Amino acid sequence: MTTNTATNAMTEVKAPQASNELRRMFRVLFKRKIVVASFVVLLLALFLAIFADWIAPYDPNYQDLARGLQSPSQEHWLGTDELGRDVLSRIIHGTRISLFIGVVSVILAFVTGSLLGLISGYYGGFFDALLSRMIDALLSFPNIVLALGVGAALGSGPFTIIVALTLAFIPTFARVMRGQVLSIKENDYIKAAKVIGASQWRIIIKHIFPNCVSPMIVLITLNMGVAILAEATLSFLGVGVSPDIPTWGAMVNEGYRFLVTHPILSFAPGACVLIIVLAFNIVGDGLRDALDPRLRGSI
Amino acid sequence: MTHLLEVRNLKTVFNVEGNQVLAVDGVNYYIDEGEIVSFVGESGSGKSVTQMSGLQLIPMPPGEIVGGEVLYKGVNLLQLDEEGEEMRRIRGGEIGFIFQEPMTSLNPVLTIGEQLIETIMLHKKVSRKEARQQAIQMLNKVGIPDPEVRIDEYPHQFSGGMRQRIMIAMALSVNPKILIADEATTALDVTTQAQILEMLRDVVKETKTALIIVTHNLGIVARYAQRIYVMYAGNVVETGTTEQIFNSPKHPYTIGLLNAVPRLDHPKGEKLIPIEGTLPDLANKPPYCSFLPRCPYRTQSCYGQPSPPAKKVDEGHYVACYVDVSQAQPTDQHNALKAASPSSTLAPSGDPKEVILEVEDLKVYFPVTKGILKRKVADVKAVDGVSFQLRKGETLGLVGESGCGKTTVARTIMGLYEPTGGRIYYQGEDITQMPAQKMKEVRRHLSMIFQDPYSSLNPRQTAESIVGEPLIIHKLVKDSKEYERRVDELFHMVGLDPSLKKRVPHEFSGGQRQRIGIARALACEPSVIVCDEAISALDVSIQAQIINLLEHLKETYQLTYLFIAHDLSVVRHISDRVAVMYLGRIVEIADWQSIYTNPKHPYTKALLNAVPIPDPQVEATRERILLEGEIPSPLKRPKGCSFRERCPLATDHCGQVDPHLRPVGNEHHVACLNV
Repeated sequence: MTTNTATNAMTEVKAPQASNELRRMFRVLFKRKIVVASFVVLLLALFLAIFADWIAPYDPNYQDLARGLQSPSQEHWLGTDELGRDVLSRIIHGTRISLFIGVVSVILAFVTGSLLGLISGYYGGFFDALLSRMIDALLSFPNIVLALGVGAALGSGPFTIIVALTLAFIPTFARVMRGQVLSIKENDYIKAAKVIGASQWRIIIKHIFPNCVSPMIVLITLNMGVAILAEATLSFLGVGVSPDIPTWGAMVNEGYRFLVTHPILSFAPGACVLIIVLAFNIVGDGLRDALDPRLRGSI
Repeated sequence: MTHLLEVRNLKTVFNVEGNQVLAVDGVNYYIDEGEIVSFVGESGSGKSVTQMSGLQLIPMPPGEIVGGEVLYKGVNLLQLDEEGEEMRRIRGGEIGFIFQEPMTSLNPVLTIGEQLIETIMLHKKVSRKEARQQAIQMLNKVGIPDPEVRIDEYPHQFSGGMRQRIMIAMALSVNPKILIADEATTALDVTTQAQILEMLRDVVKETKTALIIVTHNLGIVARYAQRIYVMYAGNVVETGTTEQIFNSPKHPYTIGLLNAVPRLDHPKGEKLIPIEGTLPDLANKPPYCSFLPRCPYRTQSCYGQPSPPAKKVDEGHYVACYVDVSQAQPTDQHNALKAASPSSTLAPSGDPKEVILEVEDLKVYFPVTKGILKRKVADVKAVDGVSFQLRKGETLGLVGESGCGKTTVARTIMGLYEPTGGRIYYQGEDITQMPAQKMKEVRRHLSMIFQDPYSSLNPRQTAESIVGEPLIIHKLVKDSKEYERRVDELFHMVGLDPSLKKRVPHEFSGGQRQRIGIARALACEPSVIVCDEAISALDVSIQAQIINLLEHLKETYQLTYLFIAHDLSVVRHISDRVAVMYLGRIVEIADWQSIYTNPKHPYTKALLNAVPIPDPQVEATRERILLEGEIPSPLKRPKGCSFRERCPLATDHCGQVDPHLRPVGNEHHVACLNV
């Protein structure tokens, strides 16, 4: 009987190993309530972006000049802009472009930048020297000038913004990654991997990359916010999306003229940017902790 | 009678993430004027924190001194304001402190003179000129050559040993009453350590300064200390004069420590008796004696009683233990360990003539480059013509001080560095010229154990995946079932419980991590294992466990070891043959008896002489040969014999001719012209 329960206990501990690890990660991730709240905010934003057509109370582009610049009311919860468009509906529709641009450009920049950083940091030599100089060159351009150049070459549109922002973000990602790689690759466990005959790709993917992700996650969440705001500037300068597609950035810009009389026109989309950026940051923070096995047990 | 410094019932805690870690748990001690007292203990025993707490030098928060008194000349230092004038006057002025890391404790942008003068002027009311004069005198006293010139140099222009001398000069320059040396020589080589300790003892004797040596090294203590406090898990477990502690230790932990270190003067072949287990978690200390779970003398009644108070066994000899060890018998398990067959290293297994690995005239140079064009300006000749043979089933010890190139040899054999010249043969095949595909096959048979159990394991991998990775890379298992079985087997081989295999490295202790590293090295059933300082980062009691494990594995699996270490006692314990390296070359190679009983090369002699022996009687009768000077830079190797500037036998001839290894006896080779 006793042996029986003992073996039972053993199998219970042993069986669900892989899912245990995942479950532990989720437990760590959602241990803090603020992370849960932020996660809910992000899900909500995603939901709004997908189902904007059904959720928004009005057509975001329907103009009613007679009802321009109204204050918040029962009909228009956040009021209307100078062309009489419903601000709430425009914000809901704006989620699409803003989230899309923010997430896609940063992810693209992360993937390319990390790859470049990994290779140049690990192999060093000529490629590293070349890449470092190119990064210096890219960094010496202000992002907006860079994006204007890309816009001139590709024409305007959301695609242009994504390309421009990706290009603008790659250098930072590549440089941070390269620095991480340089310090991680000096660790004895990298030598140990070489000694047991691991291939270079195995070392890079399995041993170096996972140990470099922490600062990258921080960089991702920070740049999400930058991307959402940069989209506004670029749209304002005419390289971005066309004015009839609502985006948060563009709305902040348009409302700017009425800041004194109708502050809500800028504040409402601005608050959305703030909340999303904050949510990304907090989730990113939680994710970094959840992925770090060194924090096991302490959280 | 009042003491110069008396500490009563000192308690220090660290508040870490909601837990209270009891680092110092009611420590009592005293020191009188001009006395040399030592605190011995392993990492985490609280020996450093005890000293820091008295001067309020621990970071607060998270640290907090929760109780006790520190009476210095009758004043309770704990009552003083942490950053107040009085406290600052005592800190540095009355009680000096020397830290372990000589490389980081001097400010790199100020000359050593400025730093010394600043200290002197701060604590003594003297003019700048006067202070400079005193600084020069002090540097002279601690053995810095040409102090008038060198006082205006920057820290990076000094070697580690020299910097530690400067730190001592700085601490002593204001005539403190007490000097606390916190592991001050741990980071230094044995010969430098011996120089510094001798100097330190002479200086404090002259100035009547009381000296507190905090260390984990029992050998140092035997030669220099008058009284000893042995610490374990935040408590002083035993205190007495050096003779009392070494001749009739009364606490099981002290006895354990003394048995766990290999000694230069003991017959070879004795099995080390490790202290089983690990240090208790200081955040959840048990209500009973904290050494109890590891104690071979524990009795049932120990569990029921609170942590034992210190009881007097002799004049000045106190021990915190309920059991009288001279009457009691250790537990069966301990007896079994003691009775275990003498270590296997005596007889190498296999044909002693069969060479498995041969290194021939190996040269490894690292280029020194300058400017943006990376122009090569010089070579650091880390390894400069090393040849040796590793025979099947033997352990070859490779010893030398830091910077002598022993690690470079190891890494080059493992293919981590490209050799600049020379050949490495594995079973007759040259592996320096081997194509990658074939090399991978050879790699299976060559394995390595690293020094640092913290940086040698990927923190993001589970223990299982670390140990199992070689199996996957070399496709040594057919399916996941076999993989699981092999990994479990490897865990058993190194004495780890396979149920821990899903954990990540930081959840293991240092000793356990080293076991994981060993399991990884064993995974592809290698024939040669290079142990690069494999035990030097571990605590004494854990060291013995790992040494025994390595010996056991060698015996069971017919392994061949290249054992690289700077600890000569350990090398003697484990090796069949020993090679001594100096500045990138082997200066002497022979079987262990010849090296240890009949060393020929003056460097080998000096090195052996510098090793402290944990026995005050032996130390008292030993004559010291102190090596002068420092290892020359491998950038500027002196012409002729590179040891000649420090050599007592040197003649003019040595400056002209490069000595090569030549036979002086049965398989005994020495690179010296004058022996």
